[in-house]
Amino acid sequence: MAIYIQSISQISIQEPLCDNWFESPIYHRQRYVSSIEPNYKQYINPMSSRRMGRILKRAVTTSLNVLQGRKGNEIDAIITATGLGCIENTEKFLYSMLENNETLLTPTYFIQSTHNTISSQIALELKCNNYNSTYVHRGISFESALFDAFLQFKLNKITNALVGAHDEMTKDMFTLYDKIGYWKKGDICVETLRKSETLGSFSGEVAVSSFLSNEKNEDSICSLAGMNILHKPTKEKLEETLKRLLEENNLTLSDIDAVLVGHSGDKENDEVYSKTKENLFNDIPFVWYKHLFGESFSMSGLGFYIGATCLKKNIIPKHLVFDSPKEILNPKHILIYNHFQNSEHSFILLSKC
Amino acid sequence: MNDILVTAMGILTGLGLGKDETLQSLINQNSAIGELKHLNTIHSSLPVSEVRLSDKDMLSLLNYNPQNPLTRTTLLGMLALREALEQAKIDKDTPKRIAFISGTTVGGMEKNEEFYLEFFQNNSKDEYISLHDCAASTQDIADYFGGFDFITTISTACSSAANAIILGANLIKAGYVDIAVVGGTECLSKFHLNGFNTLMILDKEACKPFDKNRQGLNLGEGAAYIVLEGMESAKERGVEPICKLSGYANTCDAFHQTASSPDGQGAFLSMKRALEDSGLSAEDIDYINAHGTGTDNNDSSEASAIKRVFGENPPYVSSTKSFTGHTTSAAGSVESVISILALKNNFIPANLNFKTPMEDVDLVPAQRTIQLPNIKHIMTNSFGFGGNDSSCIFSKII
Repeated sequence: MAIYIQSISQISIQEPLCDNWFESPIYHRQRYVSSIEPNYKQYINPMSSRRMGRILKRAVTTSLNVLQGRKGNEIDAIITATGLGCIENTEKFLYSMLENNETLLTPTYFIQSTHNTISSQIALELKCNNYNSTYVHRGISFESALFDAFLQFKLNKITNALVGAHDEMTKDMFTLYDKIGYWKKGDICVETLRKSETLGSFSGEVAVSSFLSNEKNEDSICSLAGMNILHKPTKEKLEETLKRLLEENNLTLSDIDAVLVGHSGDKENDEVYSKTKENLFNDIPFVWYKHLFGESFSMSGLGFYIGATCLKKNIIPKHLVFDSPKEILNPKHILIYNHFQNSEHSFILLSKC
Repeated sequence: MNDILVTAMGILTGLGLGKDETLQSLINQNSAIGELKHLNTIHSSLPVSEVRLSDKDMLSLLNYNPQNPLTRTTLLGMLALREALEQAKIDKDTPKRIAFISGTTVGGMEKNEEFYLEFFQNNSKDEYISLHDCAASTQDIADYFGGFDFITTISTACSSAANAIILGANLIKAGYVDIAVVGGTECLSKFHLNGFNTLMILDKEACKPFDKNRQGLNLGEGAAYIVLEGMESAKERGVEPICKLSGYANTCDAFHQTASSPDGQGAFLSMKRALEDSGLSAEDIDYINAHGTGTDNNDSSEASAIKRVFGENPPYVSSTKSFTGHTTSAAGSVESVISILALKNNFIPANLNFKTPMEDVDLVPAQRTIQLPNIKHIMTNSFGFGGNDSSCIFSKII
């Protein structure tokens, strides 16, 4: 039972709805960067657009972009990952409640404050009555959403799925997460992120939608060959899981062209990747992306997009290769390895189809 | 062969701590809906179903002195989970691949709303910042017990726990874990009490699901987890199955962010597809534990959908939210535990406070506890904001 990525699209702190970052990435220096907004008019009529927060506009736009006219019950599952959900509306309702001591409240912001507002709004736009769910587990939110779809493909419950990762970062949330060490203290640059001498990274935003199908056609970008998620695995357990994942696909470690990792410039975060490299990956080149896209709970959704884009373009550009300043030509298999605070670990294997 | 068994469960709601207290309250028709005690709000006249234990009581029951603060959602979850794990004979050394999947929506809001303004003024409450998001409770609960190989958090508002059950079953069927501990936890917060209040769907008296004169819902809080396991694993470990999860489905109403469609399309599809998944026919279902919030909109819509699936003579229907209040993200597992207790003990729980049938849909719920000779199959519905509708069917093992 094979699964193919048919289409994948992003709105982030790089140029939206395109792959311009591939040739000419933007290197940000600020530690708090908001997404570059595309022109939404092409996707959402202005009436509905006014009622939607930023996160909803981005989610609907990337979804419609990858669905390319598919709608309604043609889509078997809509699954969304979001670490903080519609946090802007949550804050608005919360502030209003605290400032007016639980009086004078209106329901508008409450209605659009829940995490599942995103998946629901997409279903509303598409008029899709099928499977609909939302995963909210911090840095492993995206893998959880993808795993849900993956399992349902395996069990023949679905033939296609729209899987997305969406997170916005408000000023207030940035300030709060700054207080507990999520962000670097001054301006950032690629070299400081590469060296990981201090804690924290820089804040980005995420909107990624992918359309997956069990049918291969000329649009298929690559295949989702396998995946797994582990909670606090031992070194042996991690190794064993990787071994099984490779065996299931008749591969050995030497077939993997690159390991795409969530190296973010945060010392503690990055040490886990270095250690796993020593234990499992030896000489396989590491590829990174958070130096271009920043950090966010569902950021690994962008990792998935980047892995797929590299396989589509048959090249991993030099600016993504972590260890050596050399591009990787004709990659066939990219392994995405992500962890969150050394608690949740995941593997996603993407293969050329 | 591929049966998904329920081998244990744990529950904590306003009805009490554990299956026994819950069962007694249900049979004796003792509702937990009453006065607010713990939540500090100006809306204290609104009836709710609060867990009687304070945070301090819960820590002492857990015999736990944590280094970092925990949210009430987390503590509720820990107590419910402890009961489930003890019954399942699972501890951190159980040599099986075990998943823990928890549903929640409000997350740490109950602490966040207390300290939010202070966060920006000084550093004294900073240890609460990381408790705000939904995953915090799952993570803290998993850390407390240990031994899980996979954890995640689902948030589909009031159907969150039902969707945790569905993911757990799929994980076992696809062979990625042997055991899945699934459910949800949610405490009351000012945030969602006020949210529901602005929507004008809170009844100022005890809720009256499916009654013509219903005025809305009462919020509740609680947690419940069930342990799902394949036959092989249960046999090997020597645990006695309670029942099986024979079918399930998740659908979306795709009608409105907070309102249900008049004909209950999402609810209709979730019940119909759960039946298809189980291989049972509508006539096989002995009892439907309805979502039945007590709001004008939900109950009409759900009743219409029940009629569309089950015809003019549906099986017994009741909403046990008249006992527990609406436990929001935990409702899916709270009501699954209640349904399984009913299945095992052969009774239909009452739909309290019902007096007058609705005019638009002819559906009269069970109004008192009804003992039956043998209940074989039960369906439980969990519907949420955003039209996230899920149905699960539990069956006796014959």
